[in-house]
Amino acid sequence: VQLGAVVAIDARSVTSSDAAGKQSHVMLAEPLECVDVVGRSLVERMIEHFVAIDAVVSVLVEAGTSLPASFLPVAQKNVTIEVVSDLGSAITYKLDDYARQGIEYSFINWANAYAETDLLDLFCFHREARQTVTRTFDKEGPLSLCVVDCANAQSTSLGELSGDAESNGSSKYFIREYVARLAHPRDLRQLATDILRGRCQTGPSGRQIRSGIWIDERAEIHRRARLVAPAYIGRGSKVKADALVTRFSSIERDCCIDCGTVIEDSSILPNTSIGIWLDLCHGVASANKLLNLERDVVVEISDPSIMRSNADVRQSVVIVSERGEEPKKAADSDLRAPRQIADTWRFGDTLIQE
Amino acid sequence: MYTRGPVVVMELPEQLNKAGVRFFMEELQPLLETDRPCVVLDCSQIQHLDSAGVEMLLNCLGEAMKRDGDLKLAAVSPASAVILELMRVDRLFEVFETADEGVRSFQIFAPAANVQSQPWYAAGGGLAELKIAS
Repeated sequence: VQLGAVVAIDARSVTSSDAAGKQSHVMLAEPLECVDVVGRSLVERMIEHFVAIDAVVSVLVEAGTSLPASFLPVAQKNVTIEVVSDLGSAITYKLDDYARQGIEYSFINWANAYAETDLLDLFCFHREARQTVTRTFDKEGPLSLCVVDCANAQSTSLGELSGDAESNGSSKYFIREYVARLAHPRDLRQLATDILRGRCQTGPSGRQIRSGIWIDERAEIHRRARLVAPAYIGRGSKVKADALVTRFSSIERDCCIDCGTVIEDSSILPNTSIGIWLDLCHGVASANKLLNLERDVVVEISDPSIMRSNADVRQSVVIVSERGEEPKKAADSDLRAPRQIADTWRFGDTLIQE
Repeated sequence: MYTRGPVVVMELPEQLNKAGVRFFMEELQPLLETDRPCVVLDCSQIQHLDSAGVEMLLNCLGEAMKRDGDLKLAAVSPASAVILELMRVDRLFEVFETADEGVRSFQIFAPAANVQSQPWYAAGGGLAELKIAS
């Protein structure tokens, strides 16, 4: 039996409360499920599960979704990505398309939850239940993974498919295995910790160089840096001299941890540079934003010598000639030159230091 | 002191102060001067730990790291853990409940066995390949 799978990613940025707990800041422009966690995003991990059972996978991305650059180049057998203006109608269209291709059953997964269930067992349960939809649940409630009959799914509402609505025409499948819901950046941290602890089947990407230490391609670790297991250093990241990465910390791709800095129980999201001799604990850092998980506040740091985005520096630094010549991109040597230090630090929206 | 393969397990003395450190280091120092020393320090007997003891742990860790080895702690009592935490050195060490767990953690993994297969997106493509479906 040929199976299909639809992975839906909706456009929403990730916000967090400020110090007062009222306003929200954009912590991440991209959806959480597209952000790398210990080397690979949740969407990638989901797709791997579907590919493993030889399902034809369609990833539907709502137009306007900000995706990390590393996510965009997609090409694998049986996996296609489509940008759609309306997820609901696109899913219906895709199921219809599957039905015409002779694919009788399809999984539908909204990408904000990840479940490590046996997909074939779920499929068999669905087929035996003889319902149009089989929705999944775990101990915390409904999950956004379901199985549908492609031919009959036209008459099923999007709410039923997403698990938001009760329906008489659906069966329920209880998942006892590992489930992760991504609703807040702290969930990224929890997922990273669970992966590094080995609480779930999915593992860190890269190579385990010694017990509990995973290093991905092109990562550079200074001889005098210390990695205390379990820890993960992502693709192309640099950990400089005397830095310490400890207690389930993950440094994602293309990050830089400068000399003497301690990263403890934290996740450093892709393209983030952390300055020298800092102590970053219990947090999630992305570019110049730091979410402290103990205090549940986001701090935006405008001093690039403390925290900054690597990607921003490369993209935004443009040298303009005083003689009115065409602007040219900065060379690597220019990027290394000290940049103008921003005037202030900002704590939420409140100025705390000149 | 006993060895398990390349790993040396040593029991720290009850009094890990200046005098205790001097005596203990006479035994430990030659082990740290080997290539890639793998040492597990069993802390179960420690009754008294002061700054000299903590300094010794840090020095030993530094020596082990210089030679591409490692030093791990096992069976740290709550009282010792508090002192290590207070001095913020606990995060420098891998700490295990028993010496056996510490020994097992030194197991070297075969590099090829854990290599992640090529990521699914690595075959190329890009934005141009995305198509508007609706």
